[in-house]
Amino acid sequence: MKKRKAKNTAVSYLWSAPSLLLIALMVVFPILYTGYVSLTNMNVYHWFDFTIVGIDNYIRALFVFDSGFLTALLATLLWTVVNMAVQLVIAFVLASLLNNQKLRLRKLYKTLLMFPWAMPGYVSILLWKTGMFNTQFGLFNQWMEKAGFTAARWLSNDVSAFLCCTLVNLWLALPFMIMIMDGAMQSIDRSYFESALLDGANWLERTRFITIPAIRPIIAPAVIITIFTTFKQFDVVYLLTQQAGAKTGSGFHTILTYTYENAFVTNNYGYSSAISIIIFIMLIVFSAKYQLREEGDE
Amino acid sequence: MKRIVSALLCLCLCLGLASCGQKPDAEGTKKLTIWHDKEDAVIEALSDYLSAAVPDLEITFEKKTSLTDSLKLVGNDPAAAPDLFIFAHDKIGVFAEMGILTPVTEFLEEDTLTDFLPMTLAAATYEDQVYQLPLYFETLLFMYNRRYMQDDEVPSTTEELLSYAQANTGRGRYGFVEQHSTAYYSAAWIHGFGGSIIDEDGVPFPDPQAVKDALAYHLKFVALMPGETEYNTVNTLFLEGKADATIGGPWLVPSARDAGIDLGIAPMPTVDETGKALAPYSGVQGIHVLRFAAEDKKEAVQELLTALTAPSVGIDLALASGCAPANALCYDDSRVAGDEFVQAMRTTAEIAVPMPNIPEMDVMWTVVGNLLTDVNLSGKDIDSSFSTAADKAKELIDAMK
Amino acid sequence: MMGKKQKERLGLFFLNIFFITLCFLTLIPILYALSVSFSGQNGLLSSDFSFIPHDFTLDNYKEVFLGESIMTWFGNTVILAVTTVALSLTVAVPAAYCFSRRRFPGRKAILKCLVLLNAFPAILSMFAIYRLLRPLGLVNHRVGLILVYTGTMAVFSLWNTKGYFDTIPKEIEEAAHIDGASDLQVVIRIVMPLAKPSIIVTGLMVLIYVWNEYIYATTFLTGEGNYTLAAGLYALQATEMSGSWPVFSAASVTVSLPVLIIFFLCQKHMTSGLTTGGVKG
Repeated sequence: MKKRKAKNTAVSYLWSAPSLLLIALMVVFPILYTGYVSLTNMNVYHWFDFTIVGIDNYIRALFVFDSGFLTALLATLLWTVVNMAVQLVIAFVLASLLNNQKLRLRKLYKTLLMFPWAMPGYVSILLWKTGMFNTQFGLFNQWMEKAGFTAARWLSNDVSAFLCCTLVNLWLALPFMIMIMDGAMQSIDRSYFESALLDGANWLERTRFITIPAIRPIIAPAVIITIFTTFKQFDVVYLLTQQAGAKTGSGFHTILTYTYENAFVTNNYGYSSAISIIIFIMLIVFSAKYQLREEGDE
Repeated sequence: MKRIVSALLCLCLCLGLASCGQKPDAEGTKKLTIWHDKEDAVIEALSDYLSAAVPDLEITFEKKTSLTDSLKLVGNDPAAAPDLFIFAHDKIGVFAEMGILTPVTEFLEEDTLTDFLPMTLAAATYEDQVYQLPLYFETLLFMYNRRYMQDDEVPSTTEELLSYAQANTGRGRYGFVEQHSTAYYSAAWIHGFGGSIIDEDGVPFPDPQAVKDALAYHLKFVALMPGETEYNTVNTLFLEGKADATIGGPWLVPSARDAGIDLGIAPMPTVDETGKALAPYSGVQGIHVLRFAAEDKKEAVQELLTALTAPSVGIDLALASGCAPANALCYDDSRVAGDEFVQAMRTTAEIAVPMPNIPEMDVMWTVVGNLLTDVNLSGKDIDSSFSTAADKAKELIDAMK
Repeated sequence: MMGKKQKERLGLFFLNIFFITLCFLTLIPILYALSVSFSGQNGLLSSDFSFIPHDFTLDNYKEVFLGESIMTWFGNTVILAVTTVALSLTVAVPAAYCFSRRRFPGRKAILKCLVLLNAFPAILSMFAIYRLLRPLGLVNHRVGLILVYTGTMAVFSLWNTKGYFDTIPKEIEEAAHIDGASDLQVVIRIVMPLAKPSIIVTGLMVLIYVWNEYIYATTFLTGEGNYTLAAGLYALQATEMSGSWPVFSAASVTVSLPVLIIFFLCQKHMTSGLTTGGVKG
């Protein structure tokens, strides 16, 4: 009996080995390596000949976590909550509507709605920044002027920059979420709905008692991964408002754009690595606290 | 335990892959690879010139988009790095401190560089060593659209520019536009007030009052410019004929010609208060030698660099894409002398300040960018913004070490 | 009085109107790019924009297909994308099946850890990956990029397919086992067809990631001839100071189209095999 169990374990690991191996190499190794670099003095002056300096970098890193960092952290939390909430609701509603079998053009709609995802991110962000939000030529301001309002500086203050970044982030992220939800809804056994209909359940009840419980375990990993991606968002905020040479005057920072300006620009890899590791640990503690992990498994 | 076993297995697999993945070690000492991120016209001119001047060398130009980031990774690895690279001079300090560069003077006869413009040599020098062989340089120029600004209206002082801008701005038109809140452009104003962003020893803002004065005065202009500071907006305004004058680089010239603008060039206006002209940063583009190439392929590198010191390469570059050559002898050529824009840059080279090439400058771009954004776009108080910026500069420079 | 059928038809009508409006709103930035790409004027920015370009021209597309190395980049991207998707699915499906069906020590711990790995800000990972690829001679080598991409997407692929496997009732497999089928046969003949939607979703995700990734591609690949589409476009946008916006827009639209076509074609296979009369679990 014991032997069979051991064999079972060995077979399981053998089949999972290629996947786990690649993850170990491309995801785990960089984390360990960053951890190692964070203990060295690797910087411009000791690029190839760096030595171990212990936890010096961590002590210095604590200075980065000043009031500016705290503000950025709170903004990032708000950013994550708002983005995830809106994203989940909209994706859910759209995916349910798209699952209406009588909607003949639904494949076309789905394809068109995937468009934002089919473009490289920097291209879309550039399009939004120069095509839509630009104060002089942007489409929004052309419309504002036509409608008789004065042109607005969309990205120049904290609140409107936050909203504009949210809009762009949703635009970029929704196709993925819709696709995941749609895929999950396809997997629900139709017969559940049929019997629920016979029992006289309305749409809200069907959603609450059938759809949500059924898709929850399937979408959970994708949702958790998206939460992390949203929390770590850099491109959208940086390229829209904080890019060197094209800043817009907004003070909205996520923790990553903030640490980029306050640590990564120094070219001090030991120091920057220490900060990355601290953020990593912080995020894990957060997620432990809000029990993201529990949802992921069964 | 299982994971350790699988890790070992993986290692074997990787080593297996490695044995067939390795690039063939072509040890041709006559083969040189040069990385660059320049326009095609420049590289074509260079490679045409080199295939005639040094036919025995096999030179490959490879375009590399994220050149500095890649060099940071591969700089000391002969298998992955190029032998030489062409880039602006402002990263010399970083690469020299990293220890991947060899001074070019090791390959050249003593007085080969005497004919080069002093500004370009100053740019190429870091801690008394010349790490770059300058090819050409770029500076900002005062440009105007003759359709709106007549030649006799061109301002010679900043006060004249201000009153011109006041008189001609409004109803969707601008008298003068520039990328007002970026460090590169604002440096001209700071220099005009006698200040600087960082000195040779890495001290940020050596003359704080000058910087504050420049910021305060410049603010009058910012009020007359659009609330966007990025490249596309400013250029499009000028190219669409919605702005009469601008400060821009030579890269604006071809698009202005395409847009059918009757482009005028004038000397930078002088600041009334100090009597100094707005002195822009200049960027010197040149070729750098990587240390291992200097050791392995000394002769080939020497041959290549010597060929690149000749005035004719600068002339070719100037004619092919309007670059301003670093070698002063090039300007004796009548065709080069006849190019209004190249000449204008040559004149500006007398006052232009090479971008600092010390590693500390890397963080100053961010610091000054934030300072300008705070003052110009967020409307914060100059004194407090400045002291925040000065503190941040010190903190970041300390954090580099 | 309206009949039930009429009511339904009216509902569908409004639903169609809703989706048409939604698609239009979503596509505004893209229609913008489309209009610029067909326009003869050289400006992403211009003061009077309309969705129908003022002077319609196909020149920009001509330039994309003839002038730039787009077709080479396209070929490179297809090779990379196809190999990465194939490799990703080959490694993810067996692993996901094991994690979904088998119970073995370390299973739960590994699953939890895998999700948490996503919390790492990967901005500095480039260095470590270089250190890894360099001794293997895989820098500036397609195989290197394929491994990086597969590894990066492996956590998602594993979790996503596993989540779907969990929903397939075990009874179906058990029946097959009783009939004497081996594990492998069960997976290939029964589980895979049932899990088709999620396998396709996973494959598409990997495909889109590879299609749009440019940071690793520009850092690890040298020479324009080796670029992928995203890397090539990035280079166009980053270096060409005098950049031609219409050509860039045309290129962006061209890059996106293959992905959309693939997506459209895949949809038919994205409906679950579990639609009618499946086993009630």
